[in-house]
Amino acid sequence: MARSPISDFRASAPRTLAPLLDGATQRLTPWLLPLGIVLGWQAASSAGLVSTRFMPAPLDVIAAGWQLGRTGELWANLWVSTLRALAGFAVGGGIGFALGLANGLSRASDRLTDTTVQMVRNVPHLSLIPLVILWFGIGEEAKLFLVALGVFFPVYANTLHGIRSVDPQLVEMGRVYGLSSFSLFTRVVLPGALPSIFVGLRYALGIMWLTLIVAETISASSGLGYMAMQAREFMLVDVVVLAIVIYAGLGKLADVLTRWLERTCLAWNPAYRTV
Amino acid sequence: MIATALRAHDAAAPEIAPVRKPTDRPAKGPVPRARTPEAAAMGGLAVTVRDLSKSFDGNTVITGLDLHIPAGQFVAVVGRSGCGKSTLLRLILGLEQPSAGRVVLESDAVRPAPKRIMFQEPRLLPWAKVVDNVAVGLGESGTRAERRARAQSALAEVGLSDKSANWPATLSGGQRQRVALARALVSRPGLLALDEPLGALDALTRIDMQAMIEGIWRAQGFTALLVTHDVAEAVAMADRILVVENGHIAFDVKVEVPRPRRRGDPDLAALEGRILDHLLQNHAPA
Repeated sequence: MARSPISDFRASAPRTLAPLLDGATQRLTPWLLPLGIVLGWQAASSAGLVSTRFMPAPLDVIAAGWQLGRTGELWANLWVSTLRALAGFAVGGGIGFALGLANGLSRASDRLTDTTVQMVRNVPHLSLIPLVILWFGIGEEAKLFLVALGVFFPVYANTLHGIRSVDPQLVEMGRVYGLSSFSLFTRVVLPGALPSIFVGLRYALGIMWLTLIVAETISASSGLGYMAMQAREFMLVDVVVLAIVIYAGLGKLADVLTRWLERTCLAWNPAYRTV
Repeated sequence: MIATALRAHDAAAPEIAPVRKPTDRPAKGPVPRARTPEAAAMGGLAVTVRDLSKSFDGNTVITGLDLHIPAGQFVAVVGRSGCGKSTLLRLILGLEQPSAGRVVLESDAVRPAPKRIMFQEPRLLPWAKVVDNVAVGLGESGTRAERRARAQSALAEVGLSDKSANWPATLSGGQRQRVALARALVSRPGLLALDEPLGALDALTRIDMQAMIEGIWRAQGFTALLVTHDVAEAVAMADRILVVENGHIAFDVKVEVPRPRRRGDPDLAALEGRILDHLLQNHAPA
């Protein structure tokens, strides 16, 4: 009783330097491979093994990034793309989450909508691009619609699955112990569904960028995809590669964010505890 | 603590008629409806079951069962698996609706105490700290701080106050079941149903838990209903043992051995033998 849980935790935390060094090595290990590839690529370019007309050297890509960053073009495009991505994610993810909850909690809602959703789900949403251009032109609505549609399905399916797979024994326990429907939802059902909802979130973030880049590549007048398409027209290979590298970075960023969210929200689950 | 526990028990003792006459054979038949005022004041619930039947999809599990359990009594229900003992417990708790007949829970207290169940599995919320899991037993009553304080003292009763900030995943099986016990007890129930709660524990932990449950029951005076397939456990803990067979009570016997009971007591062993004989002979292999 006298010892607080926090002091317990500190007492068991490592205090020597060796584990810290271990930690640093572990943090750096995942970056060895990408770094090696870039170095090898640069070496190959410098040695003239790779034609810079088709594949620019990493240093050229960095130079292009520097150039575009100084003029502000890069940041403007990045900002526009990010806004589009987030807006589409909020709309599609929000609707998917709400419908997933509704169908997970209500048989009637499920019977009414699930079949329809499952049918539409199997249509590749990018195949709607021609139709979307006809409907919305190349304005913001087109991109928002496509991203929202792409994000909707993984969020919906995983939310629904999460709620369905909540341990019925725990739900029964909650009922017997007199929890109100609201408490039962916030204390038993939602936390139980959370691991699955996070899986949906991860998928959705991937699809969000994919959809946006494709949409911007085909029809846009700003954004990262547009920047890459413009560069292709002028044979600026370094800018094209720069755009691709930025996509990789954004993907990694989204992954880091979800991991952090998972570690914070799912700290109770041994599978998600920090290694 | 122990002194009050013993006093509470002695006060409740008269209904467990002649306690100190081991020569008396356990009585069969209806139990007198006497209810001790002390037990009632502590909120123990009396259970009356009348002509209860339950069937699932045409399979009759309970047939015309009559039963009265006075407030504060510790009743063990034993029987072979599939005999309907768990269903009986779930019917009394209101987890299942009877096909016919009725279950009445009565209390003399002004505010009837709740009924609680401890399951075979701990059924702790893995995403809630131990103390918050115990607080689930309080439902929505009181502020969060009050609930936590009461949960903390219930944890102390089961000897786990130092684990209150742990995740359930970090506890051993026995500790988890103790947290589940604290959760069941935190609201001061009038009826505690135990659905084979110790079945998954190792032998030594089980004996510790039996002593703990018995001690808390003696201190608090709730009505206890223990479903078990372990006859030795039933004999060691209960005031009265019901043997359920084919959906009705085949055997209703009082355990007239004074507490605290010693393991290996010859009277207990004899009673255990009788009940086991009964269970075995009435179930000749087909």
